[in-house]
Amino acid sequence: MEQTRELLINMGPQHPSTHGVLRVLLKLDGETITWAEPDIGYLHRCFEKLSESKTYPQVIPYTDRTDYLSAITNEHAFCLAVEKLMGIEVPERAEYIRVMMAELQRICSHLLGLGAMALDLGAVTGFLYAWRDREKIYSLFERITGGRMLYNYLRIGGVRNDLPEGIIGTPRDGRDKADKTIWGFINYFESYVLPEWDDLLTNNRIFQWRTQGVAPLPSEVAIAYGASGPVLRASGVKWDLRKNVPYSIYDRFEFDIPVGKENGDCFDRWVVRVEEMRQSARIVKQALQWLAENPGDYIAPKLPRVLKPPKGEVYIRYEGSRGEVGVHLVSDGSANPYKVKWRSPCFTHLQLLPVLAPGHKLADMIAIIGSIDIVLGEVDR
Amino acid sequence: MEPLDIRPDLEALKAAYPAVEIAEAATGHFDIRVSLDQYLDVVRFLKDRGFNYPACITAIDWKDRLELVLQLYKLVVGSRQSPLVMVRVDGLPREGAEVPSVTPLYPGLNWHERETYDMYGIRFQGHPDLRRILLPDNWQGGHPLLKDFVDKRPRRPRLVRHRDTIVSG
Repeated sequence: MEQTRELLINMGPQHPSTHGVLRVLLKLDGETITWAEPDIGYLHRCFEKLSESKTYPQVIPYTDRTDYLSAITNEHAFCLAVEKLMGIEVPERAEYIRVMMAELQRICSHLLGLGAMALDLGAVTGFLYAWRDREKIYSLFERITGGRMLYNYLRIGGVRNDLPEGIIGTPRDGRDKADKTIWGFINYFESYVLPEWDDLLTNNRIFQWRTQGVAPLPSEVAIAYGASGPVLRASGVKWDLRKNVPYSIYDRFEFDIPVGKENGDCFDRWVVRVEEMRQSARIVKQALQWLAENPGDYIAPKLPRVLKPPKGEVYIRYEGSRGEVGVHLVSDGSANPYKVKWRSPCFTHLQLLPVLAPGHKLADMIAIIGSIDIVLGEVDR
Repeated sequence: MEPLDIRPDLEALKAAYPAVEIAEAATGHFDIRVSLDQYLDVVRFLKDRGFNYPACITAIDWKDRLELVLQLYKLVVGSRQSPLVMVRVDGLPREGAEVPSVTPLYPGLNWHERETYDMYGIRFQGHPDLRRILLPDNWQGGHPLLKDFVDKRPRRPRLVRHRDTIVSG
């Protein structure tokens, strides 16, 4: 058989479907990818070096900017690390507010991840619908925290402010209150948005043809490559740090862990994310119930002006929107962290690209990048 | 769900490698201090005992020496509270340190080892592709997360316009 010559091409860093500034070197045999190599670092902002010259509370805004689509979960991970190091007890109300915010943020982040994947595969409508619903969450977040995307809302030991008057709403709030009360949004989301996603894309034959069987990832490979979060669960591994290594107050909530099949493909990763949004909505509802029944104003303990954690070391595993966020914090007893290491799930997941891509068509590459849902801000930090 | 107990594994490790120091930290993880010669054997031992999930690898600059820290845990479906172990190799020289790579055992640590090389200058022997990862390949400025790192690049001029020069309207 006649052999064609392999072609080396660049995909990115300005390619619109690479979610930011990712450059992937590809070797093509005709339309088929034979080799792929991501090239990262275009968005490196020295987060870890910078943190060493800041005090502990000053690091929190920077954690927002690592994974900027899921800021609350990053703040939560960092705050948990410092609290564990110092042995701070977080007020119960603050814990519930944190969990509720983190789960709303997870919905928000998955909406964008799914919307962007749909957009890359040619379904522009999905992206616009995702944007419409994220806007509602952002309106709520703006009223609670003052920021729309980067919040600096969590404090070490608690949260900055209590929920504003009337934002919780009542369980009867419907679609007309979706951007005014959290109950309104959750009801709108469960009764309207999720069925819409199912109709529009999940059960769409064209979308299924485009994603099913693309880039299957066996579960043992997923574990060996350190995959986590939806990517790991889509491969059939029922592992969620919120359940398996419970932190904060997640053991008080009832929710399921959605998993895919043994060889999870791009479609499984999609379905797992959609299901996760449903589970997050369940957690938010339980948190809202508690918050409505237990009003109070104790949301942050009294701490010294300058935080000086004792000498020591801590590693926090946190189930962020995209997978396991690891915060390795070393304290030397001074007011600045001695070392901050951010184990980012996107960075780890991007290593899977050379494993997943070979053998698939160039057009499937878009689906693969979309399905592992990377944020380059977190890859490069 | 059953809580996972890793103490039998750590006792077996202590029995097989008596020179290894094992201590439980106040923050819940286990520190395993090993010497450089035994590092690869210990990691292989842990992998055979079921520590299948590579969380992270990094280094700490203690100003007079470097310390390599490898974080592993057991990912067992249906278990609870899987404790983290940190395999630590202390006393590495601050320049030209060389340690064996664990990427052949845990492919997921490939990029984390590259990042550690990039940021601290520790070379990993046996790594399939040891290049800089976040900084450019032709970066000559050293390894930035070392505590004595100085940014030698020339200062850029401020590109912000002065307030008076902005014409309103």
